[in-house]
Amino acid sequence: MSKKRVVHYINQFFAGIGGEEKADIKPEVREGVVGPGMAINTALKEEAEIVATVICGDSYFNENVEVAQKEILDMIKQYKPDLFIAGPAFNAGRYGVACGTITKAVQDELGIPVVTGMYIENPGADMFKKSVYIVETGNSAATMRAAVPAMVNLALKLLKGEEVGSPEEDKYISRGIRKNYFAEERGSKRAVDMLIKKLKGEDFVTEYPMPDFDRVEPNPAVKDLSKAKIALVTSGGIVPKGNPDRVESSSASKYGKYDIANFQELTEADHETAHGGYDPVYANEDPDRVLPVDVLRDLEKEGAIGELHRYFYTTVGNGTSVASSKAFASEFAKELIADGVEAVILTST
Amino acid sequence: MDLENQQRVKDLTDKYSPENVIVLLGAAEAESSGLAAETVTAGDPTFAGPLAGVQLGLRVYHVVEPQFKDEVNAEVYDDQIGMMEMVLDVDGIIEEMSAIRSEHCKYND
Amino acid sequence: MVKEVERAGIPVVHICTVVPISLTVGANRIVPAIAIPYPLGNPALDKKDEKTLRRKIVEKSLQALTTEVEGQTVFED
Repeated sequence: MSKKRVVHYINQFFAGIGGEEKADIKPEVREGVVGPGMAINTALKEEAEIVATVICGDSYFNENVEVAQKEILDMIKQYKPDLFIAGPAFNAGRYGVACGTITKAVQDELGIPVVTGMYIENPGADMFKKSVYIVETGNSAATMRAAVPAMVNLALKLLKGEEVGSPEEDKYISRGIRKNYFAEERGSKRAVDMLIKKLKGEDFVTEYPMPDFDRVEPNPAVKDLSKAKIALVTSGGIVPKGNPDRVESSSASKYGKYDIANFQELTEADHETAHGGYDPVYANEDPDRVLPVDVLRDLEKEGAIGELHRYFYTTVGNGTSVASSKAFASEFAKELIADGVEAVILTST
Repeated sequence: MDLENQQRVKDLTDKYSPENVIVLLGAAEAESSGLAAETVTAGDPTFAGPLAGVQLGLRVYHVVEPQFKDEVNAEVYDDQIGMMEMVLDVDGIIEEMSAIRSEHCKYND
Repeated sequence: MVKEVERAGIPVVHICTVVPISLTVGANRIVPAIAIPYPLGNPALDKKDEKTLRRKIVEKSLQALTTEVEGQTVFED
C-alpha cells in the first residue's frame, strides 16, 4: 500500500530563505521536504511522507490573508494530500497566526486531517485552538526535537481515524470540547472528596477549569480633544539612538520611558528600534513610522489636540510574555494617570 | 548556531574534510553550547539552517573544557578567558559538551 | 498592555496591522495599520504623501478615541 501523502507548511526562516528581510516573500511550493520537514518525515516513517512543502513569508501572509490563503490552498490541492501539517511556529506570532489560519482553511476546504503546533502564548493559539488541533510546543525552536514527535503522533492518530485522547495525553492545546464519559464514582462523592481536600489544604484537581475571559470594558470617549493630553505607547521598540537602557530585542524584561518634549519628530539621527521581530530598516530610517510624533506635533500646533504628553513608553513586543507586558503597563498606567493623560495611542508592529 | 556560522562550518568541512576540523565554542551557557555542539555533530536541531539534517560529527569543544584549556598557554588563557570562566557554569558546560560528543561525535579521541 | 491601560481608566486606541490579534487579546478601539515593518508609513511613497497617510491614520485614531463604543470596534476606512 502506498504511503499517505502529506503537505507541510513553513515560513521563510525555516525554509532557509532568510529572516525578517525575507518576511515579505510570496507563497511558493517545493517538492519533498524542506527544513523541519526532514524531522517530520523521519518521524512519519512508513505511514506517510511529505510530498510537498509550501513556504510563505510571515509578513506577506499576515498583510494579505485572503489572497495568500487562496494561493496557498491552490498549491496544496494540486498535491491531493491525505494530511496537512503546519509549523511548528513556537512563539513566532505571525507564523503562528499563519499556521492557524491555513490549517483551519485546509480543514474547512479539503476536509482532511490537519495539525499544527505552537507555544501557548502565541496569538495564533487563542485564535485557532477551538477550530484545529494545535500541539503545545516550547517557546523556541530549541524545542523542535520534542515538538516533532508530539505533532506526528497526533497527526497519525487523526490520519488513521483513531480516537484522540485528552489534551494532556496527546499534548495539544485544549479545544474546549466536552466529551461525555462514565466516571467510576458518582458526582456527589467526587465533589465531597474534592471539598474535603480543599478544606484540608491539600492539592486537588478541578474537573472544570473556569475559562479566562479577562475582557475590559471600554472607557468613555474623550469629550474634548482640543483640551486633551494624549500619550504615545508602543510595542514596536522605538528607543533613543543607541538603546541606552538596553531594551532587549526579544523577550523584553523592561520598558523604557523617554522624553520627547524637545522633539517635533523622530529621525534616524536620534531614535531607532530595538525590536528584533520585524525588519527594522523602515523604522530606523524614520521612527515616526512606528511612533507618529511628527503628526501629533502638527495636530498639537493646530489645536486639534490639547497636548502631546512629553513622555512615551516603549517596549518590544517580540516574544515578550503576556505577564511581563501586563506588569509593564499596569505600572506605567499609574504614571500616565498621575500626569493627567486623558487618552493613549498604542502602536504595534 | 546562527545560519551564517552554520554555512561557514559546512563550507570549511567540505573544503578540509571533517576529520581535519575542530570547532571551538565560547557560548555563555550550557544550553546554548549544547545546541551549537549538536548542530555541528548531529545536525541543526531547529532545522532552520544549512546544517539541518546534516551529520558532520565534528570534534567540538568549549574553551573552558580541559581538552582546550590544558593545551594553551596558561597566561594567555587567564588573560583572555579567566574573568569569564569565573561566572560560567563550567561543570554544567563540560557535562553538556561531553554528552553531545559521546552521542554524536564521529571522531572520539 | 492595551488592556492594562484601559483597566486603569484611560481610553486607548490600538493601531496595529494584524487586527485579529488585537481582537483576540481584547483591545476595544482598534485602527488597522499599513504593514508590520511600517505601521504608520509607506516607504514606497514620497515623504509628503507618507506623512499625509500617517496623519490619516492618526486622525482616525483620534476619532476612535472620541467615539463611544459598546464593545470591540475596528475603525476601518
